[in-house]
This record gives sequence, structure tokens and C-alpha cells, in this order.
Amino acid sequence: MSPLVLVILFVVSSLVGYKVISAVPSLLHTPLMSGSNALSGITILGALTATAIARMMDNPVLAQIAGFVAIVLAMVNVVGGFVVTDRMLRMFHR
Amino acid sequence: MNWKEAIVLGLSLADILGFLCVIGTVWGIKMMSSPATAVRGNLLGAVSMAVAIIITLVSENIIGQGLLWAGMAVGTAIGYWSALKVTMLQMPQMVALLNGLGGGSSALVSLLTLLAGGSASVASVTGLNMGMFEQITAVLGLIVGGVTLSGSIVAGAKLHGLMSSRPVVFEGQRTLNNAVLAVTAVLGALSLMMGTGTLFVLAMLTLIGSLVYGVLFAIRVGGADMPITVSLLNSFSGVAASISGFAISNPLLISIGAVVGASGLILTQIMCRAMNRSLGQVLSGATTVLKPAHATDKSTASAPVRSRGAEVSSASTAPTASAGSASPAVPAHIQAARNARKVIVVPGYGMALAQAQSDVKALIDMFDSRGADVKVGVHPVAGRMPGHMNVLLAEVDVAYDKLYEMDDINPEFADADLVVVVGANDVINPAANTAEGTPIYGMPILNVAEAKHIVICNYDTRPGYAGVENPLYQPSSKVTLLLGDAAMTLKKLLADIAAGDGAGAAAGIAPTDGQAVSAAPTATTSTSTVGYVDIVKQARKVIVVPGYGMALAQAQADVKKLMDMLEQNGADVKVGIHPVAGRMPGHMNVLLAEVDVAYDKLYEMDDINPEFADADLALVVGANDVINPAANTAEGTPIYGMPILNVAEAKHVVICNYDTKPGYAGVDNPLYKPSSKVTLLLGDAAVTVKQLMADLSTR
Repeated sequence: MSPLVLVILFVVSSLVGYKVISAVPSLLHTPLMSGSNALSGITILGALTATAIARMMDNPVLAQIAGFVAIVLAMVNVVGGFVVTDRMLRMFHR
Repeated sequence: MNWKEAIVLGLSLADILGFLCVIGTVWGIKMMSSPATAVRGNLLGAVSMAVAIIITLVSENIIGQGLLWAGMAVGTAIGYWSALKVTMLQMPQMVALLNGLGGGSSALVSLLTLLAGGSASVASVTGLNMGMFEQITAVLGLIVGGVTLSGSIVAGAKLHGLMSSRPVVFEGQRTLNNAVLAVTAVLGALSLMMGTGTLFVLAMLTLIGSLVYGVLFAIRVGGADMPITVSLLNSFSGVAASISGFAISNPLLISIGAVVGASGLILTQIMCRAMNRSLGQVLSGATTVLKPAHATDKSTASAPVRSRGAEVSSASTAPTASAGSASPAVPAHIQAARNARKVIVVPGYGMALAQAQSDVKALIDMFDSRGADVKVGVHPVAGRMPGHMNVLLAEVDVAYDKLYEMDDINPEFADADLVVVVGANDVINPAANTAEGTPIYGMPILNVAEAKHIVICNYDTRPGYAGVENPLYQPSSKVTLLLGDAAMTLKKLLADIAAGDGAGAAAGIAPTDGQAVSAAPTATTSTSTVGYVDIVKQARKVIVVPGYGMALAQAQADVKKLMDMLEQNGADVKVGIHPVAGRMPGHMNVLLAEVDVAYDKLYEMDDINPEFADADLALVVGANDVINPAANTAEGTPIYGMPILNVAEAKHVVICNYDTKPGYAGVDNPLYKPSSKVTLLLGDAAVTVKQLMADLSTR
């Protein structure tokens, strides 16, 4: 995809996100933050593809270690974020 | 034909599925608008993420690579384990740390992409040819990710007390920060221009520069500014993911990263508005209004250490319960209840019929708050289905570790000072042990008859389902029958017990667990103790205002009990929450939700402010700057113009604070001047709130 399309995608996503998130009440701001936090672990996709090509690089061992670390960090972010959010949300009751 | 090449409207199947993941993610966030749907919304986000991972593995043809699976397994295990271990109080540092990990991952992805782009061997195999756009975004991703990683670690360390939460401010700091940022940017630019040989070195230097900048960025932020910082880092972590998405041309990363970036930005804006700062000031480093010379950081830096130390020593202020100060007018069962150290509640189907579960919960809480050991004994056939009583009580938030099975609780009745039976009949009928030939003979029962005193809340004294007379229903000095609808009789019982005497009050401040009462800050009441207790007792409309001091003192549970107590007195109790109370957005909400305060009692600043004028009582627990009326009047001070909670408009204000020093902003709070309208209860909030409850129950 061309850079222009990607930039447009970025802008549109930001605006949609802004709109949707504005509707979340402050009551739930902490779970919102930890939940969106988990989403920022979407970088796991980049970590996976980058690690996959790392073995073709000039210094494959070092690059694969870096890729492995990237996957671990992103996955901690994803799983930790979602589980913590779930724990918190389940406490909210009338 | 390869499915990946199936083209619909110019998009591959992977693109379409990826788009659905974005929709699922955004929809999940939309469902977070209401607590009722939020749990499912979060789940939807998680599922979308899982699908996105699968799509990537399949469409890139890398699903068979063991290294990837190993990394994901390790990350999942660590993430899951730490998410279950973390306590609600530690949530700010957990969130900060997770932000940092996401940022760190994005930085590494950008680094690898940059290096792969400059690698001839990769280009020859994959045909990958990175343009300038991808390279620039890779460098940007590296920098933003690096800043997020180190900044979040510093923020987390401050929040966790590993570092002093005082702002680190020194001469020429702004210049240094800008210089580091500039050097980092130049290094990044150079790594774009240089050949393959120096690329690695330059990229690493760029990463190091951004890590240093992240540290410098975060150390100058003090404890009270943490909500802004954590929100901003949250936004950064999204932006970092989005930028690295540009570098690898992955629309999913770009889109979801942007959503997270927007989310963090909104929270940052809300925090800024609430703290009277502009986003520009925050981004340029003016997050901290304090100069180190008069850093009155007592509410942030020193207190956590102090309270942790106190937890260990856990000196109790509980006097030995001085029983026997009863006036003759007090009925025996009320006296027994007030002095009881060990209480067992036995529910039966009558509780369900009378819908008295929440009253049972209130009773349990009341005994808890008086320092008694309260358990619930559940007979296997109590109710109409297996576990019926457990479900009913769980629904009203009785902790399940209070619920005991028959075999476990039966040995304890002999020690119990008091048993309260609510609508149970056959399952406590001692005739089961003695009355041969009756239907219940031989049936195992709960041995309530062994307790020192028994209160039975039953509809009437007729035999239960089995038709066998219950000998406990004979009037005796040991048994008190409260007949009628259990919801009514329990409310009456609660009121009578709370009507209180000296012994009950003394018991009321006994710590119920090891950490509640701290020794170091002895609670002192600065004004005379008499008047305000009556005011609190008679208040019909109460607004509770929590602040970070409540979190430091771990006084949430006490605040909840106090709220319950005031509600039992018939008061209308609300909680007013300032947007920046605590250390992250929504901090107070989470702490109070954890102790089962219903969320419809929690009000945002704009909603609660008009109500203070009508309120009989504003009860401030550990909040300072956010209620400081000087914000309206004291021009030139850091808080001037900051929106505050108008507690000063209430008819009476009770302030539970550690001391009367100014808050984080360093501006004296005029409410701390003694007056007929304001009562100051100084010391550890968990102690002062308990004391207040004890005083209330004596009156």
C-alpha cells in the first residue's frame, strides 16, 4: 500500500478512536487505559514478521535474539493487559 | 490457487480479515462505555488480537517457525502470571510497566526493520526494498518506542516506591533534555544516510539516545502528576506501534496503534484539564510546578514508605474490649452482639423468601467493622438448589472465603459468642439428634445450639418443612427470637446494635486484618470530638471525596464500611471523584470498585459539584489540592484556575488527612483552618475513619 493510503488510514483510525473513546465514562478510565494498553501490544504482529526475516540478516543470531525479546515483550503487554482489564471490569457492579 | 491471492474488490482475504479485526477492536472499546458490557468488550478486543496474530502467521507463511511460538509462549506465561498477581493498589505501576513493554517491543521491531532494510542479503532473498518513507518511520518508531520504554520504567519505579516520587529537577534540565533529543534526532537522521556498515552503530546510538531522553522525561515528574504521565505514555505506546506499522507497511498496526494513541491522548487531555495544565506545557516538560526548594511532597514521597513500615509492625490501637458497661435497658441479645468477638451467620431459605441477602451482608460488614470474626455456615440443603445460599450471598458480595460448609463450621459453634440464624429451620433443629422416629432424625445439622447466644430471625415459630417442632424456639435466656419478615427484623437488629455503647465502640476500632492500623501516625483529633459526630450521624445527604491519601492509608474498605453505616442511618451517600484524584485516570474508581462500592454511587466532578450546596456533610478522605478553594481565589499560585470539588459549600466538612501541610501544589488549604464548619481528623485515614465509625456507633 502506498504511504498516502497508510497516512489516511492513520488519520481515520485516530479520529474514529477519539470518537469512540470519548464516550467511555471516567468511571472506567483505568480499565480503558489497561485495555487500550493491551491493544498497543498489536506490535506483536510486527515483532513476528521482523523475527521471521531476522535469520536472513547479516547477523542472524543477534537479530533473532532481538526479535525473540520483541515478541516476549509484546506478548506480556497483550496478555497482561487483557487479563488485568478483565479482572478490574468484573469488580464493577451496581 | 493460493487463498492468500484471492482478490475481492482489490483486497486479499488477509486484508479483509485484518479489517474485521480492527472493527472488532473498535467495537470492543465502544462496549467499554458501560460497565454492563465492558467485560465482553474487553474479550472482543482480545479475540480480535488473537485472530490478527493468526492471520499474520498464516499470510506471511511463518506459522511453522518455532522461535515465534516460543516467544509467544514465554510472553503469555509472564503476562498471565503477573496480571493475576498484581493487586488493585499496584495497578498504576502495572499499567505503566505494560506501556513500556509495548513501547520496547515497537522499538525493537523498528530496529530490526531498519537493519533488514539496509541488509543486502535480506533484499536478495525477499526482494524487500525499503523506501525512504519506511526508513524514516522506522527511525521514528525506534525513538518513540525507546522513550516509551525507559520513561515507563521510571514512572513505574516511582509509583512502586523503588524510586523517590519527588520530581528530579536541576539547573539546566530543560536545555539538557532538548540537547539529548536533538542529538538523538541527528543520530537518527544520520542512520538514514549512512551506508550499511555504520547503520547498526548509528541505530543503536539512536536507541540509547531515546532511552536517555525517556529517563530525563520521566524523572522530573512528581507523584501527583503521574496521571498525566501514565496517560501520555499510554498514548506513546500506541503511537510507537502505529509508526512501526508504517515502517513495515502493516495496516493493522497503523490502525490499532492510532486508536490507542487517541485513547491515551484523550485521557491526557482530561487529566490536563483537571490539573489546569495545557498539553503543550506537558509536552515541553512543564509538567511539574514545584521547585525543589519548597517541595512539599509529603503526600507522595515519604508517606508510602512510612505506611509500608507500619504495616509490618501493625501495632493495634484496639483496647481490650471492656464489656459490661451496659445499661440494664439493653436487651441481652443486643449486648451479646455488641460484645461478640466470633459470630456465625446461618442462612436458610427464609432469607431468600424475604430477599434479605443484602441485609445479611450489611450485618456481616457491621460485625467486621466492629472487629469481630464473622463466618457464614451453609448447610448443604439450605435453600432450593445446591449452593443456593452461596449464590445469593455472592451476589451481594459476601466474600466466598467467609462461606463455610457444614463440616468445616460445625466444630466452631462451641466457640461462637453469637449465632444469627436467618430463615433456617430444619437444618438447625437439634431434634434431628434426639427425636427418634421423626423424619429428620439422623439428619446432620448445623450445631447452632452450642453457641453462647443465638438470635433467630424467622417468619414464625411453626415447624419447618419436616414438621418437627424446633426446641430452640422455646424462649430461653440464650435464644432470642425475632419474628417476622427477615429483611425487617435484620434491619431492626442492625439499628439496635449500632445504637451502641462504650464496649461496642472500643471493639469498633480493632483491626480486622494485619495491615489496617499503622502505629507511626497516631491519630489525633484536632477539634473537640463531640459536635461533629452528631452532625455526621444526622446528615441526610453525604458526599464522600476520596483522594490519594485514601490509597496510601489503604482505607478504601473503611470508607466503604462508613458509607454502609451512613446509609443504614438512612443517609443518601454519594462519592465525588475529581478527575486527577490518585495516580492514574480513574484510580479512585478502581479502588472503590474493589471494595464493592456500587459504581452508580461514583460521580464525576461536573455531576457532583452542584450537589455540595445541598449536602449536609462532605467527608474528605485523603484529598487535598482537588478540594482546595484557593484554586478559585489565589491568583499566581500553581493551582489558580484549576477546577475543584466544591466541598466548602457543604453544611459541614469532615477532613480525614494525614496532616495539614499543603498538598502537592504547595498552596495552603484554607479549609484546614479550624472553624465551626470544618472538622479535621488527622493521622492515618484507615485509623481516623475507623475511629469515626466507632464514635458513630456509640451515639
